[in-house]
Amino acid sequence: MARRRILWILPAMVVLVSLSIYPILFSLKVSFTNQQGDWSLSNYSRIFADHLLHVSIIQTILYVTVALVIELGLGLFFALVIDSMGRGKYFFRAGFLAPMLLPPVVAAVIWRLIYNPEFGVLNNTLKFFGFATKNLTWTSGEGSAMASVILVDIWEWTPFMFLLISAGLQAIPGEPCEAAKMDGASSLRIFKDIILPLLKPTLFLAILLRAMDLLRIFDQIWILTQGGPGLATETVSLYIYRTAFRFFNFGYAASMSLLCLILVTVFAKNLFGMMKMKVA
Amino acid sequence: MKKGAVYIFGGLGLLFSLAPLYWLLTISLKKEVDQFASPPLWIHFTPTFEHFINAFEVKQFGKYLFNSCIVATASTIMALLLGIPAAYSLSRLKWPRNQAEKIGFWILSNRFLPPIITIVPLFLMMRSVGLLDSPIALIIVYVGFNLPFVIWMMQTFIREIPTELDEAARVDGDSYLGALIRIILPLAAPGVAATAIFCLIIAWNEFLFALVLTQTEASMTLPIGIASQVTQYEIRWGIMSAAGTVAMIPVFVFSLFVQKYLVRGLSMGAVKG
Repeated sequence: MARRRILWILPAMVVLVSLSIYPILFSLKVSFTNQQGDWSLSNYSRIFADHLLHVSIIQTILYVTVALVIELGLGLFFALVIDSMGRGKYFFRAGFLAPMLLPPVVAAVIWRLIYNPEFGVLNNTLKFFGFATKNLTWTSGEGSAMASVILVDIWEWTPFMFLLISAGLQAIPGEPCEAAKMDGASSLRIFKDIILPLLKPTLFLAILLRAMDLLRIFDQIWILTQGGPGLATETVSLYIYRTAFRFFNFGYAASMSLLCLILVTVFAKNLFGMMKMKVA
Repeated sequence: MKKGAVYIFGGLGLLFSLAPLYWLLTISLKKEVDQFASPPLWIHFTPTFEHFINAFEVKQFGKYLFNSCIVATASTIMALLLGIPAAYSLSRLKWPRNQAEKIGFWILSNRFLPPIITIVPLFLMMRSVGLLDSPIALIIVYVGFNLPFVIWMMQTFIREIPTELDEAARVDGDSYLGALIRIILPLAAPGVAATAIFCLIIAWNEFLFALVLTQTEASMTLPIGIASQVTQYEIRWGIMSAAGTVAMIPVFVFSLFVQKYLVRGLSMGAVKG
């Protein structure tokens, strides 16, 4: 019996270990090697002094937080809107979901077409309605690039929040809401005191899943701005990628990815613990 | 909320979701002079298929499409072959105390591991065994991506099947493998199909590993081909849009089949939609 249960899971475990634990250990070895191939701690001391890394960490946190809050808010709002629809519910729901299913590369290409300051459809449309578009540079302006990149994320991933929250709403039984309505409660109170508490587990799950995905953001930013202009949209993933595959400093890239692993693990553990506490 | 307001907000949301997709489609069908006309041409333009022809006849997009299909299909099949027995073991065989749960969580944590953490060592490993620029490297990596997903999804589907059914089969003299093949798999067939489709979509959409592990048309997938149309000197908007349109069609077709399981797939089986 014991042999059987292990035998059945063994092939999968071997593959997973050799594609996650082994590479991480391999990284550890690489991270203690300098570019000449000697044993060295220089990669780790560089982490503390590297201004670029610090900027990209702060910008990643900014990106994740802003996108997460807005996507959660909009997702909840649209889930409630669609939920209170009678006719056409399914049509609207299917339409909403489209952006999320796209290959992220295609999503980014679409927004390059839209954002282009000289001949993009966004500025051309605004011009048509008589707005001055000279200073609207979107992803190519240092001040507006981050916001523009986040907007693409919101477009693409609000549907994810919307879908999970919609499913959560459908699972809420109708009786308590109807009883409260009979007793004359306003819809705002019903939402605050009945729907929101019942929705909490779904909301926390949606936040956890989306946060973990946001932390790895790469594709869209790479296509839209490559981290620029200047450093305006640089994130940790982009910085590690560039260090490894543009400057071929694998040792430093490995040490940063291990730092990343520690930060993500701590973050996930805390978020998970918080969820369990709040839900229970 | 008032009925009218509901439909106005819904309509605005729908417009914001779909207008960008429509715009991609029109750019892929427009002659170059029309693509960036000001004011923009939303409806009135003469469609042309020249960009699609260019992408697939002149450029290598036929090859990229082929690579994408091979990589997605092979990695999905392998992930299912490895993942289903593992899911069966975790959900049906007896594990001491909470071991099954612990292993399950470790498997799940692999899913959340940001790819940037393993990309440097995996690149070096693939280079040392001479697998760079080969579809095999991508297949291996995508099996690793999809395996935790398969195991978690299949666990939820297997748990929905009453234990009595496969126990009865075993009392009648069937082996565990026989019970899995004759009882569990037929009953969980819609679940297997949905899981497979999610795996296909994930592999089809993947970008970062493909960017690092592929270099020429021997192994480049569609997303990399699309990204490579942004060159130092110019951006080939028409070809890029045409290829983008081609890349999104299978995803939409496939997701129609898994509509029912969309919520479950996106929440790794945690929410039953």
